[in-house]
Amino acid sequence: MATERGPTAVSLSGVGKTYRLGEPVHALDGVSLEIPTGSYTAVMGPSGSGKSTLMNLVGCLDTPTEGTVTIDDQDVTTVSDRERTRIRGEDIGFVFQTFNLMPRLTARENVALPMVFRGVDRGERRQRAAEALDSVGLGDRLDHQPNELSGGQRQRVAIARALVNDPALLLADEPTGNLDTETGAQIMNLFEDLYEQGNTILMVTHERPIAEHAERIIHLLDGEIERIEELSGVGR
Amino acid sequence: MNLLESLRISWRSIRGHKLRSTLTTLGVIIGIAAVITFVTLGTGLQDEIVGDISPDDQQNVYVWAAPPEDSGQGPLAGAQPVFTQRDAGEIANLSGVDDAYVYTRVPGQSVTYAGDTVPRDSGFIGTGPGYFDTEDFAEGDRFERGETQAVINPAMAGLFDENVSVGDTLTLGIYQGVQIDVTVTGILENSESMSAFEGFAPSPRLYVPADLTENTETQTGLPDLSEEEFSNLSEEELSELLGDREISNRSNLSGELADLLGQSTPGESSRHIALVVEATSKSDADIDRAKAETEAYLNSTESDASDRSEGLTFQLKTSAELISQLEDVLNLLQDFIVGIAGISLLVGSIGIANIMLVSVTERTREIGIMKAVGAQRRDILVLFIVEAVILGVLGAILGTALGLLAGYAVAGYIGIPWVFPVGWTALAIAVGIAVGVLAGLYPAWSASRTDPIDALRYE
Repeated sequence: MATERGPTAVSLSGVGKTYRLGEPVHALDGVSLEIPTGSYTAVMGPSGSGKSTLMNLVGCLDTPTEGTVTIDDQDVTTVSDRERTRIRGEDIGFVFQTFNLMPRLTARENVALPMVFRGVDRGERRQRAAEALDSVGLGDRLDHQPNELSGGQRQRVAIARALVNDPALLLADEPTGNLDTETGAQIMNLFEDLYEQGNTILMVTHERPIAEHAERIIHLLDGEIERIEELSGVGR
Repeated sequence: MNLLESLRISWRSIRGHKLRSTLTTLGVIIGIAAVITFVTLGTGLQDEIVGDISPDDQQNVYVWAAPPEDSGQGPLAGAQPVFTQRDAGEIANLSGVDDAYVYTRVPGQSVTYAGDTVPRDSGFIGTGPGYFDTEDFAEGDRFERGETQAVINPAMAGLFDENVSVGDTLTLGIYQGVQIDVTVTGILENSESMSAFEGFAPSPRLYVPADLTENTETQTGLPDLSEEEFSNLSEEELSELLGDREISNRSNLSGELADLLGQSTPGESSRHIALVVEATSKSDADIDRAKAETEAYLNSTESDASDRSEGLTFQLKTSAELISQLEDVLNLLQDFIVGIAGISLLVGSIGIANIMLVSVTERTREIGIMKAVGAQRRDILVLFIVEAVILGVLGAILGTALGLLAGYAVAGYIGIPWVFPVGWTALAIAVGIAVGVLAGLYPAWSASRTDPIDALRYE
């Protein structure tokens, strides 16, 4: 059900982010990057390399101090907070290390949450949330609350939530960081399936084996792209 | 995001903290309950008073004379005994007046029936037969002027061990061992007050003709002398006793002396503290006419009252005026209580604001999640305000219910009608909403300003 999109899902051009807390800190410095639609990209780098900043910028959670970020052909650097929030809701699907599900909502309600803020009516929300949960293998866990689910199941709920608005980019931040190896592997398989279905994935990780599931790995160091590593056979 | 959705999510989070939410709303509950209780009671009390004016009472004008500084106060405030039966008779003959009769307080100490004596320090009510309507009676009828008769209410009858019925004789202890036997001519239907002069609370009351003591040997304010001893007084002694007053008829010396010396002394010209004047109808015009004619008569030299009214002002009040005066007092009291309840509401809303601030901090991460999946600032703002409003409205509804219940219980206990205060209930809910909005405004604003990056990282 992927929407017809342009060739580039996300593009960064000369993006810099400087924090001014006393001494100016260049979290990102002149990063230019294109993420083609339907690609699977991993971002690696040590702590302080700018991974999180990059992720926040691409995820429309933050604005760069220089350069432009374009998501699905929309320049998100110059728009209002309101518009950026809209783009975030519609074009970005987040998957977090700590799952970040709403504790008092059921799996189905969690998945439906992004549609609540887009004004989708309740009946459609419930149906689409159920479909999304079904597609991640949780069709039988619709009415469970997060604390009734295992870590792997929670991450699947989070992935279903990320996908439910059919985003231009699935943004995953250490998606297996809180999972054991086996569950992590299952989640990585799920990502691969999603990639094969045509979803665009950008994943931040510091684990080489996880990053190797992607088509290419962007190595960040001190806020700059150190090198881009193209991988041949995806993840296998 | 629509409002229904906000309601659903907010309600979920309130239910997630049942105890906390309950305690938070307690402040509002207590404030609203206090207002509703006292308003219910106040309204009930006012209804009771207004309901007390029978159609007959509505055409009454209550008259008394008081120093100007006492005017504007309640019925009989500062009232002086200036009116005579003759005044009442003259006023009754005025064209705009249907009937008029005196009202006085007959001093008393006790009532005895069938050997059973009950104290009555508050005395008895002396008035004219016109004071009662036939339909006021459960049994018997009104007394007649100048007769040793009495009308009692059920509360009075209930004071005795034996059942009192019409025709029975009661012995009234007037003062210092002086006793008068009266025959009960009627027992009233209920123990409500019969006019504004009596006060408004139901209580045991005994009514006698204002001229009851005229046909008895009792006298006050006089030296304890017999008729003969009076006649034997020297001219000098007499003038000392009388001061500058004059004796017109020496043959009825005792009566004349009594008239001049004692205010509650028997005799055709004994003085009473008040008059009740009935207008020909209860229309405002007729009442005003009766009022004007009565006032003109009283101020003319023709009236007995004018002799004694120096330094006094005649107070002429209609039932409605007296009630509105009383209502002013009630309203003042009610305002006072509502003010205190208002403070409680303020404290309650601070409680809500406080809990909302805690809640915002606690749910920082949830706010971050919602923002990450596309919640606008406005959505978050509305979400938290709605939550505070739910708390406020919940408090208001529970408080109203509690207040109505308490009002109902107390009204039943003190025996006044229970009135459902529709307006105040609506107002309470509105106040609940207002309290919620005010209390939620700042916490919700600070929630909406939360940076999603920090919020998602928040542990």
